[in-house]
Amino acid sequence: MGDADRFLIVGAGLFVLGAIGFVTRRNLILMILSAELMLHGVSLTLVTFGHLHATNEGQAFTIFTLTVAACEAGLALSLVLLLYRNSGSLDIQLWSELRESDMPAPAGGFPKEEPGTEPRVSPGYDGLPRLTPAGRVPTDPSRSSNASASTSVRT
Amino acid sequence: MMQWMTGHPVSVFGLILWAAGILWLMPGTKIAASRPRIPGLVMSTLGVLALCGSAGAGQSDLAASFLFWLFAVGALVSGVLMITATYPVYSALWFAVVTLCTCGLFVLRSAPFLAAATIIVYAGAVIVTFLFVIMLAQQSGAAGYDQTSRQGKMATISAFVLLGAIVMAVQTPAAAGSPVVAGDAVAGDAVAAAPAVSNPATVANTLSLKDEQHEVGNLKGLGRSLFGDYLYAVEMAGTLLLIACIGAIAIAPRREQGTL
Repeated sequence: MGDADRFLIVGAGLFVLGAIGFVTRRNLILMILSAELMLHGVSLTLVTFGHLHATNEGQAFTIFTLTVAACEAGLALSLVLLLYRNSGSLDIQLWSELRESDMPAPAGGFPKEEPGTEPRVSPGYDGLPRLTPAGRVPTDPSRSSNASASTSVRT
Repeated sequence: MMQWMTGHPVSVFGLILWAAGILWLMPGTKIAASRPRIPGLVMSTLGVLALCGSAGAGQSDLAASFLFWLFAVGALVSGVLMITATYPVYSALWFAVVTLCTCGLFVLRSAPFLAAATIIVYAGAVIVTFLFVIMLAQQSGAAGYDQTSRQGKMATISAFVLLGAIVMAVQTPAAAGSPVVAGDAVAGDAVAAAPAVSNPATVANTLSLKDEQHEVGNLKGLGRSLFGDYLYAVEMAGTLLLIACIGAIAIAPRREQGTL
């Protein structure tokens, strides 16, 4: 179909590269950067379609995409700072404790990097929301042996 | 699908070569001595060249064609290097290169204002704040989790199956009677030859259309589209920015004296 094809393929390639990066990287910041890479691919596709149809709508959509991407970057960075504050590391693998208790461990089976990098929550830290205890404590057979992890989550 | 694969062997070859280059460059699941990066880089570049070259040259002149190749190969190869770099600072810098090359492609698609805005927002604000956080959090170079990857082979293969599907959809000629062809009153291969000016009777947002005074992509036409057709959306985008700003301040950890 000519000239627009090449731009569409480049946009798709950027999107796919961002998807690979989001899945494979273990650094929180690089995961967010990969999501931004996917947004670049989408923007290029929108602009190409706008050029093809000779309207300004593609570029108007891209400006809104840019706005949402800026919001996303700001919010994501503050979340990353909070997670870094609680774990002392940018590794996403440390937060696999947040999965459902009946789910298996994340595939790959990485050994812990070094001892002492588990998510630690300092007891005096008041930045986390505190929920009022209500009802009885649910029994969790799969984690009853792992007492330290459950207390750190519940604190 | 088999028809497409036999009809476009260069595209399939480019896809496979590109995926092989990424797999070569991708760090393994265990920390190990890194392989030499040159073969993966060469494979990725050749794959990108084959894939983009198979899409047809179009009618563009030599200068535009050269700029397209420069920016497209620059964007895609920098993207490969970004997702496979073992130092996060290098990744952020390669992302800046991807942003600049994408903005070059925006200019080629007659979107100069958008290119300037993207450079200002991304290269000026986003990358700088990300580099700031990386340097705050990792002052001692690359950590172990940066030198390993999760499920690299599965992710690459499935992502390239997706890319192959998209390329196949792009390269398959549109069937006669499909909505795009019917709405634009042009058939199949003629879309690029004569840019399809949509019929105003079938379009809701008439202010976004191109006419004599309002070319596609210049400030006048884009502003007319944004503040004419999308006025409420612009207001909502401003509100969204305000809410995100408040949310970021509320989520960010309180700072003790002299610490992060």
